[in-house]
Amino acid sequence: MSDPVRPVPEQAPEDAYDWRRMHPVTPALRGWKVLAAVVAAIGFQLSDDVGSLVERFGPGRAWLVLLGLLALVALVGFAYSALAWRVTRYAVTDEAVHLRQGLLFRQQRQARLDRLQAVDVVQPLLARLFGLAQLNLEVAGGTGSAVQLAFLREADAEALRAQILALAAGLRPGAPSPATGEDAVPGGPAGEGAPSSADAVAPGLPADAALAGQPAPAGAAGGTRPAVPAFEAAPEQVVYELPMPRLVRSIVRSTAPWVFLAAVVGALVAVVVTREVGPLFLVGPGALGVGGYVWGRLNGAATFRAATSPDGIRLRHGLTEKRTQTVPPGRVQAVRLTQGPLWRGPDWWRVEMNVAGYGPEASNASVLHPVATRQEAAVALWLVLPDLGTDDPLGALDAACRGTVDDGGFTPAPRRARWLDPLGWRRHGVLVTRTALLMRSGRWWRTVVVVPHERTQSLAVTQGPVQRRLALATFVAHSTPGPVSPQVAHLDAAVAGALLGEQSERARHARAVAGPELWMRAAEAPHAPASIGSAAGAPGAGTPTAGPELGTSPTAAGTGTTSPSAPGDAP
Amino acid sequence: MTTDSPGHAPAPTAGPFDPADVAWTPVSSRLATVRLLMIALWGGGLVVVTAVVAALVGYAWLWGVPAVLAALFLWGALLVRRQVRALAYAERADDLLIRRGILFRELVVVPYGRMQYVDVSAGPVQRRFGIATVQLHTAAPGTDATIPGLPPQEAARLRDRLASRGEARLAGL
Repeated sequence: MSDPVRPVPEQAPEDAYDWRRMHPVTPALRGWKVLAAVVAAIGFQLSDDVGSLVERFGPGRAWLVLLGLLALVALVGFAYSALAWRVTRYAVTDEAVHLRQGLLFRQQRQARLDRLQAVDVVQPLLARLFGLAQLNLEVAGGTGSAVQLAFLREADAEALRAQILALAAGLRPGAPSPATGEDAVPGGPAGEGAPSSADAVAPGLPADAALAGQPAPAGAAGGTRPAVPAFEAAPEQVVYELPMPRLVRSIVRSTAPWVFLAAVVGALVAVVVTREVGPLFLVGPGALGVGGYVWGRLNGAATFRAATSPDGIRLRHGLTEKRTQTVPPGRVQAVRLTQGPLWRGPDWWRVEMNVAGYGPEASNASVLHPVATRQEAAVALWLVLPDLGTDDPLGALDAACRGTVDDGGFTPAPRRARWLDPLGWRRHGVLVTRTALLMRSGRWWRTVVVVPHERTQSLAVTQGPVQRRLALATFVAHSTPGPVSPQVAHLDAAVAGALLGEQSERARHARAVAGPELWMRAAEAPHAPASIGSAAGAPGAGTPTAGPELGTSPTAAGTGTTSPSAPGDAP
Repeated sequence: MTTDSPGHAPAPTAGPFDPADVAWTPVSSRLATVRLLMIALWGGGLVVVTAVVAALVGYAWLWGVPAVLAALFLWGALLVRRQVRALAYAERADDLLIRRGILFRELVVVPYGRMQYVDVSAGPVQRRFGIATVQLHTAAPGTDATIPGLPPQEAARLRDRLASRGEARLAGL
């Protein structure tokens, strides 16, 4: 969506960009990786040859030779990393972030800011010790499409993130501003215009917290050489945190350890009965698997904390590797709440999201809340979708979480679906609100999926032979890659057909009024007739009713602020 | 949405796969020929190879493999015409509809504004018979919007049409 209104500055030759280098410690950090990889790969292969080495050189000399080899590998690794560092440069312009890298195969990659899906600051353990961080700019290009700036000093990474987010939001330093909207946003003391979109993210924010970034006065009119980042980090307000005891208890209550325990008991019984120790050897790999799972959960979810800021949702988590994610408004494509059978007692939910940049394999990055109480789950949902589009959002969420059949106005699967899903048929259901589609399923592993209307990519209805006999059909909404794949199985065929027709209409309508990609430019949406008021009232950008509706619970539960400023009033 | 009482089955005639006032365009029947040819080539080849193996090895039960394969391919060949006839697409003002399948039926609705890019492809056999495949890609990997068996000029027309409509209704993600 290149901006049709703004005169694009003359495309200066790329050499005029302000190319910068990564932090000089980078090769040291990268070199270790090379060394570890080489040692892991070759050491595994050569473990047999060590014996022959010992034979040839004698025990003392053999170790010296091994150490020498290791040093050689390390030298090559570090030298390569250093050379790679020399040619790696990045530059930030008003339109994009450019990255040049590659020693043998040169690569120049550019991430367009208006296509930015998420900005992550990642700190692996080693980088943390040096106070360094990696900046990942996620764009919706599939696996490996992210622009990774590694490594920068932590403060630099955060300043750069603030600058990139401010630019991506549409705040531009020193760009000639057409009358429309530009002066409504960064002009003026910015507390005036910005809340229209800023408060859509965080209705609870006080007005003085609404400014995303101070436009740098230093930027030249051409704008291709941004000055040292002069954007202040957007203020953030913590919405919820995950207490460590709950995380530990949630892992104890997850299914994997218990399955493992049952397997161990089974193996012991088998040992006792058969008087052979064979079955015990199967326990080892299982323990590794479960241990890896538990560690992954613990490491990824520890110190989890979510905050709102005008830049979007900000998530921090990680024990050894610290990750700070910023997901700008309107970038979450779908949300899923899941609850295993053992989480039902405390009513905990795992909240995950689809963000186009993260893709399916970044399971830790796609978590909106690892272990949420129902209240926090509502808050997490509210972060993404400030207006659930019903008059009783908490009631609708309750019906989605616990309800069966037609509780809470859901359209359920008809009774004859029990032939296809005898246990879970009562839970299949769908609810259409003004802004989103709620899908419910799962008898023991409860699942709730929420898809905003304007975020559905395409829709489908499928029907197998048995479904056809029973006049049932499955409704599918396609979403971007990620953990969430929205669908409702075994709906009445006529209902599914009607839903398909109505939903494509609704999605089209919602898209037409949805907020712009540059989320601070509500007034400059390409469908120009939309005034600020109606653009800000669009579902993606947040609605004036957002605060009063779901706001009651979230604010009471998390932020502690009680009176959400009405976002619609500001412009 | 219409909240039907979920108790009783509706009349089976008005299926969800026939939305009102949609003019379906069938794909070329040459697609059936191409698919039959492919089945004959690959299937026949596989049957011959397994038969030769069975003859060389000499176990009687090994003849079961080519027999089963041949039965499967014959069954597939019998279905091809009906499957191709079930394939149809429709251009509406704002979205493209694709319908496919007999036993497992599917109807996909792809809004033009959601389209990321369009692929037009034609293999050597397809080219020989004058058909091409148009595939729409959205940001969702689940979107299976493939229309095989279009005459080349129709494929080109559809591609341009989709591209222009997509641009007119361009949305982000």
